[in-house]
Amino acid sequence: MTASEPTPPPLPNDEGAPTSTALAESTEPAATRSGESQPVMAFIEKYALVMLFAVVFIFFCFWSKTSATFPTKANITNVLGDQAVIGILALAILIPLVCGEFDFSVGPVAGLTQVLCAGFMSRLGFPLFLAILVPVLIGMVIGLSNGNTVARVGVNSLIVTLGVGTVLAGVVQWYTDGQSIITGISPTLTRLGSGDWFGLPRTLYILLIVAALVYYLLEHTPYGRYLHSIGSNREAARLVGLPVERLVLISFMLSGALAGFAGVLLVARNGSGSPLVGTVIDTLQALAAAYLGATAIKPGRFNVVGTIVAIYFLAFSVTGLTLAGVSNWINDVFNGAALFIAVLVSTIIGRRRTGTI
Amino acid sequence: MTDPGDQLGAGDAASGGTPPPDADSSTDSGPVDALRVEHLSKTFPGTRALRDVTFGAAPGQIHALLGGNGSGKSTLIKILAGVQHADPGGTIAVRYHRIAAERTTPEEARDLGLRFVHQNPAVFPALTVSENLAIGNGFETGPMGTIKWRAMRHRTQALLDRFEIPAQPSTLVRSLRPAEQAMVAIARALQDQEGEQSGVLVLDEPTASLPAAEVDHLLSALRRYAEAGQTILFVSHRLDEVVGFADQATVLRDGQVAGTLAGDEITENRLIELIAGRALDRLFPDMPEVVSDEHVIEVSHLSGGPLRDVSFGLRRGEVLGIAGLLGSGRSELLKMLFGAYGHKGGTISLEGKPVRFRDIGDAMDAGIAYVPEDRGTEASFPAMSVSDNLSAAIIPNYWKGLRLRDRRARADARSAIDQFFIKASSEQQRMATLSGGNQQKVIIARWLRREPKVLLLDEPTQGVDVNARAEIYALVRNAVAEGCSVLVVTSDFEELSHVCDRVIVLAGGTVTAELRPPDIEPARLTELAYRTKEVAS
Ligand SMILES: Nc1ncnc2c1ncn2[C@@H]1O[C@H](COP(=O)(O)OP(=O)(O)OP(=O)(O)O)[C@@H](O)[C@H]1O
Ligand SMILES: [Mg+2]
Repeated sequence: MTASEPTPPPLPNDEGAPTSTALAESTEPAATRSGESQPVMAFIEKYALVMLFAVVFIFFCFWSKTSATFPTKANITNVLGDQAVIGILALAILIPLVCGEFDFSVGPVAGLTQVLCAGFMSRLGFPLFLAILVPVLIGMVIGLSNGNTVARVGVNSLIVTLGVGTVLAGVVQWYTDGQSIITGISPTLTRLGSGDWFGLPRTLYILLIVAALVYYLLEHTPYGRYLHSIGSNREAARLVGLPVERLVLISFMLSGALAGFAGVLLVARNGSGSPLVGTVIDTLQALAAAYLGATAIKPGRFNVVGTIVAIYFLAFSVTGLTLAGVSNWINDVFNGAALFIAVLVSTIIGRRRTGTI
Repeated sequence: MTDPGDQLGAGDAASGGTPPPDADSSTDSGPVDALRVEHLSKTFPGTRALRDVTFGAAPGQIHALLGGNGSGKSTLIKILAGVQHADPGGTIAVRYHRIAAERTTPEEARDLGLRFVHQNPAVFPALTVSENLAIGNGFETGPMGTIKWRAMRHRTQALLDRFEIPAQPSTLVRSLRPAEQAMVAIARALQDQEGEQSGVLVLDEPTASLPAAEVDHLLSALRRYAEAGQTILFVSHRLDEVVGFADQATVLRDGQVAGTLAGDEITENRLIELIAGRALDRLFPDMPEVVSDEHVIEVSHLSGGPLRDVSFGLRRGEVLGIAGLLGSGRSELLKMLFGAYGHKGGTISLEGKPVRFRDIGDAMDAGIAYVPEDRGTEASFPAMSVSDNLSAAIIPNYWKGLRLRDRRARADARSAIDQFFIKASSEQQRMATLSGGNQQKVIIARWLRREPKVLLLDEPTQGVDVNARAEIYALVRNAVAEGCSVLVVTSDFEELSHVCDRVIVLAGGTVTAELRPPDIEPARLTELAYRTKEVAS
């Protein structure tokens, strides 16, 4: 499956399917969005998510049910710190998404590297730097294998990565025997996970550094431009001389490595390696953020800043509702609905912009 | 079909749920137009695509819609189809039914009796004719929801007879001639006008991707449909097919109607004057004389794909044309030279040294550039800006100090837009919103900016207006003057005869003839391209 880059729509452009709206001249390929719309509309489109976020945040600060618990330092730093992991997963999934490929294995990869990181320290007595480096490398190797199957063999990325994710979940059960690994975790690592710098959780700084790197990669390097080109038109990218297979493969390796690192961060945050953390559900949450992010800041384009905004919009909304006494199921419902609405909105924006109503 | 009462009835039947005929419509005494647009305007941010366009198409006539790239033809058609909305104030009238153009819907357009066939008709090559037709009309199903194949076959056969398409319902569309594929798309669009054939059929560049002989085939089919009462509005850039074929022609220039011609007034010179706004003294520039005997590219005994044993040389500063029919292997030949299509046997040498490109990057490094045939699927990045599209093949040039120099890329794009006469509101406009011909100029500019040694052009002027065609060849000429060599494939043999120093004819996968200037004539090329094909098969 391809997530064609412009409107991140769930459906790839079916070859000339004669839908009543596919009437656009076919050499002007069912244009997904026009260049500029009116300045005011463009502004609203860009910042709608940010404004919505602000409204939700202010609402929970003053709503009688949450005004005592929501706007507290403890709550806010907690959310900021907790979401770093999902944030990095979202950045991981973003990279292949830009070139039109899905990596559903990011959640399970983090789940695996998390128990491995804990296991390496607790069972094998690895020094800290190896306990961090090896899981990241393992994530990268899994990405290499995914990328190879997708880019060189040509198997649908959705299927490949879902399959691999399921296998990894099984491996985690086997490795941990269903038990959390809680002893022997390096205190240096857990301090990184729970401590703060200047009043903000350290994991937040880590997320921001990773986000800056991914932003630089996607927006300011030829590699990033190439990925966007591949996402826009793969065959054209090949015919301007891009080594498409290799570029796609590398995107999966980067995604795997980032997911592996997210696993390490989970250990730092939780102080343990748990067989229950790091699943496809996390992938979906990351995906929701990536799609939602594509409706903001640079509408119609997967982008880092939008993704980070989306992560925290989702997290603060869910926390607010939980604090208001809505039970835990809200989490799944909210994230699922967010993914659905994000795809819907970005598709509608795209169609409205070309006037195909 | 000229009895006004009859027309009124027809309009009624076609209009379904739309309001009753406009009693006080200001139609003058003559027969009412089958399709009439009045005061149509359309503003995009940064451009006015249409300004106060008014014209009418008489019933049962073939009406050509012409104009330079970006003059607003496709926009007009999209408004007629209801997929884009005009600015307030315009109206669209079909016979006696008039609707406001700022809020038409596709359903309304359909109810009015308007039918559309878009460029590169969306047929499904791997499905049968019968399935292709059913897709536009819904499959007939039995009580259990199963498809009633037999009924479908009958209906399809009736349609094939009505539109005189020589095919069986079970024929795969892939195996039909290109013109017949287009006819299937037309039949699909018109199939629900049971018995009654007085609608309006709108075609956007139906002939742009068809080779010359296919064009005649399709045009004579259109003529038959017009004689049966259908009104036809079609867009074309090929003036030779409009002259002597269209009954009326409306020319747009910069979104305004530059003029409407009828019957004998439609001559190539008049049309060019209206399209370009001035008389063009030369359609094709003189190419500089080839000065060198040195071969830049030497191909010997090349085979692979549809090609067998192809040999020829390309000299420095030469424009070599390849004439051949669709499927003769001409596009594959260019792709092989560009490293995009592997070859089995034979050698390619570049400047005397045998080369074997492992991939496209190698070929590009060696100084070869390739403008592919199908812009939509092979060349353009629709979601990206014009600037990004222009720089796609030279991105590493902008990678300095660990940063992409985007501002410099954009400044360069602005000068390229001027230099290559591209009509865009800014370098940041999305590629997808450029008109077809201007997208083509962007692609050509992308490659010429690399200052290649060898330029491979596959159908470079497809969908490009007369004016821009002259401009494109002027650009090619400049490149040639700097020592570039050009290999050009086009179905337009007229064009080959004007721009080439030499033409080789490719048929059945091999070179069957070579022509030099006094002998390069369109008729002779057509004959050779066909005759050798028959010999080969
Ligand atoms: N969605 C859009 N947003 C902004 N500008 C647009 C959009 N669609 C078309 N335009 C502009 O409107 C003008 C008319 O375009 P149109 O596609 O109608 O030209 P055309 O006559 O069909 O040209 P061609 O012969 O090249 O196909 C062009 O300048 C084009 O860039
Ligand atoms: Mg057009």
